[in-house]
Amino acid sequence: MQSLILYLGIGALVGYFLSKINKHLGPIVLFVLSIYALYVVWQMPTGTNEALFGFGDVLRFTALSKYLSIISLIVFASFGFFNIAWISKAKRPAAFNALSILTLLGTLGVFFSSHFIVLYIFWEIAVLASLFIVPMGKEESKKATVWYIVISSIGTYLFLYGIFMLYSKYSTFDIFEIGKYIQNETVGFKWAVVLLLLAAGIAKSGIFPLHVWLRNVHGNAPDTFSAVLSGQLVKMGSYLIALVLSVFPIANMFAEFYNGVNILSYVLIWLGNISILIGTLMAIKQNDMKMLIAYSTVANGGYILIGLATLHQVGYAGGLFHIINHALAATMIFLSFAAVVYRTGTTKIDELGGLIHRMPVTFVTYLVGIISLAGIPPTSGFISKWMIFQSLVSKGMFVTEMFVFIGSIGSFLYVFRPLAGVFLGQLKNKDKNVKEAPGVMQIPMIILTALTVLWGVFPQQVLVWITDVQKEFGMKSFEFEGTVLKTSMGYWDTWTVFVMFAVGFTIAAVIYILMPKGKKIPLEDQYTSGEFLHNYDLYHYATKFYVFLEREYEGHPSFEDWYLAIVNAMKGIGKFIDYLARRTASAYLFWTAVVLALIMWVRW
Amino acid sequence: MAGIAGTVTRVAGVLLTAFFFGLTFEGFGRKIAARIQKRYGPPWYQNFIDVFKTLTKHGWTHGWIFDFGVLMALGGVIATLSFVPLGNLVAFPGLDNFFVIAYLFTVGALGMAMGMVGTGNPWASIGVARALTLMLGYEVPYLIVITALMFYYKTGNISDIIVAQAQSGGWNIVKFPIGALVALISLQGMLGKEPFEAPIAPAEIASGPMVELSAKYMGLLMLMNTFMEFVEISLFVDFFLGGGTYFVFLLKYFIVWTFAVMVSTVLPRFRIEQAVSFYWTVPILLAFLQAFFVVNGWVF
Repeated sequence: MQSLILYLGIGALVGYFLSKINKHLGPIVLFVLSIYALYVVWQMPTGTNEALFGFGDVLRFTALSKYLSIISLIVFASFGFFNIAWISKAKRPAAFNALSILTLLGTLGVFFSSHFIVLYIFWEIAVLASLFIVPMGKEESKKATVWYIVISSIGTYLFLYGIFMLYSKYSTFDIFEIGKYIQNETVGFKWAVVLLLLAAGIAKSGIFPLHVWLRNVHGNAPDTFSAVLSGQLVKMGSYLIALVLSVFPIANMFAEFYNGVNILSYVLIWLGNISILIGTLMAIKQNDMKMLIAYSTVANGGYILIGLATLHQVGYAGGLFHIINHALAATMIFLSFAAVVYRTGTTKIDELGGLIHRMPVTFVTYLVGIISLAGIPPTSGFISKWMIFQSLVSKGMFVTEMFVFIGSIGSFLYVFRPLAGVFLGQLKNKDKNVKEAPGVMQIPMIILTALTVLWGVFPQQVLVWITDVQKEFGMKSFEFEGTVLKTSMGYWDTWTVFVMFAVGFTIAAVIYILMPKGKKIPLEDQYTSGEFLHNYDLYHYATKFYVFLEREYEGHPSFEDWYLAIVNAMKGIGKFIDYLARRTASAYLFWTAVVLALIMWVRW
Repeated sequence: MAGIAGTVTRVAGVLLTAFFFGLTFEGFGRKIAARIQKRYGPPWYQNFIDVFKTLTKHGWTHGWIFDFGVLMALGGVIATLSFVPLGNLVAFPGLDNFFVIAYLFTVGALGMAMGMVGTGNPWASIGVARALTLMLGYEVPYLIVITALMFYYKTGNISDIIVAQAQSGGWNIVKFPIGALVALISLQGMLGKEPFEAPIAPAEIASGPMVELSAKYMGLLMLMNTFMEFVEISLFVDFFLGGGTYFVFLLKYFIVWTFAVMVSTVLPRFRIEQAVSFYWTVPILLAFLQAFFVVNGWVF
């Protein structure tokens, strides 16, 4: 682990200087490093301790670290490969590359450390490295960076406070050590510590009430980096939540509240519920495709949190499975968007249309990505949603179910918007000469597509990683046998479902082929209610796709606005202080008056 | 091999049942609707004529995504249908988990939506946007009621719930009357019949998603529609009317179908936002009431 971190550190430097020579070399360094790291991590046995730069036993490779590292490295490897071509659009390629490698270093460090302070340092490395990449994006991205740093530091400072509270009690920073003692503390202390530690994870994974940064940051960051932000950095938050919830004996620390769910889990589940609702409803409204998927990240963060917080044999496994599904899906979606922006230069849904006729591979990547994101079989996205549903039903949590179902059906709505607006419909006149993304970009997209379907049909490998995590933390592990997934509420077989899907498709195809062939006509040749159309750019229905639904929640309260109001109030106070400290006649007059009033009051 | 042969026979049985009885009952439905409106109506086998006629005509296509969408729609629905228990005819015993069926169902819906929006006709896009919005309305109360049932019987398998009804001697429509009412209201939305007909709305948006369909594409989607109806009504019969043997099941199916048709002929159309806000007030509250009863063990 130590050597891996060292290699990445050196790699960041090497990548920087190589990029100065030729900017396409940097991403190659990142790609090679992530593939090497993937190989090392895949082979490394779990449960090993290691020293870092002479500090004994601060690194520990758990099954949870292994799982999260593999996810991160898959995301980074595809990101690196994709960048080999995309990097020509980057504003500062050398810095972009070096900082990307540093982000990888930071996150891997977080996954490896068993020492709270080391974890905090790596966490800040990841945040700072990504912080400098974000402003290389769109014009508004500088403002977005402020959102990012503020929300992120709220989380990390609360986290740091929690660590010090623990240290003052036990004089150790070792997570697993603390986990053994914490059970016997007072109720107030337990609540304070656990919530403070979770705050960093909540801020990072975009859970309500700290979800506001995602829209700005994911929407405005450099196009490919959004894939890392949503597919990987957000998962760092989920990792911390999973770690705290499983290392600390949460079920024994807090009282039971409802059907075997403890009160802390219940609070977390409610945060997840609200995140799902906000993420879904706001995603439906967005016209910017990257912001739309950013809000969907909020909703999916909610799913992961709900799954993990149930601490249930099936639900916890579902939450962990959802991490890998959302990582892959978000990466696929953001990479396909990056390809679209690479060719067309816009992220606005209503400025695009009909790209399927020019970019079919990008379209297929997006399609499989959204099928997985919306949780439709036979992709892997369905498996985790199914697991979460099963555990909620078995516990009879009907109100949570409502939010989860809204999020699930709402996701059909919002993922369909870019599908219809960007890829289907009439091609815009300005895009008539657009070509498919370069081959280098297509390769990672195709591999991710294949992985999503593969793990949807044969989920054993992922389930082995997940059950290893559950065994490690002494939970009952999820049961499966080959492709048959079992719960107390019944089972299903991914392979049979896939076969039946193939059979259904074949039956449809046979009827289709046997019957007379259709004549191909252009998209302009269609039923127009008798109108004669001149401009087919205006004919494509993409603006305000769900206006009738949006109208139902128009005047909703906005947390972003409330936070901005706080910012304005702070600015007002700052202006006032500024005013008092300025060397103007009115300030002198004010201070003279104050001093005189003081003298009068004291009666010197 | 005997196992595989048995499975293939059962799947074929389910699909052929859906094909013959689905189209026949649709024909009866048209006849009933006509009589309510004091018309004579087409013969009961009119839908067979329609499907075969459209399949054999020469039509138009709008590119590969249109063709692919149609195939995905029919293929997805066939896959879904093969997992649905028709009373005691279960193609894959033990594999009829409700969530699998509910989500497999959306493959077909997504295929249809994608293919139809792929035609580039705005009427189709509007229809699909409305269909998805309506889905957000009816699915949530429906899923809450069904999960309440699943919580009560401690199983997610549909045939287990059928067996439990047979053993206790009471249908779920008696045990869970509020839930059955909610499911019936949701069923009307799923079937896309009045008053929840806004996604199709022939006089308003030119049949919405179907606007650009011709010849075999129309025929394939008519088949898909029949199969979808079959899945939806079968689920209701299985969950609330106790399934039953093959012919008893079909009789129950026919009664539910006739009821839905009769409701649709006498009601006007909700606007889409009215439909959604309706689903989000009355049925969802009733669904929670039912769930509350189940959690407290107040079941007849």
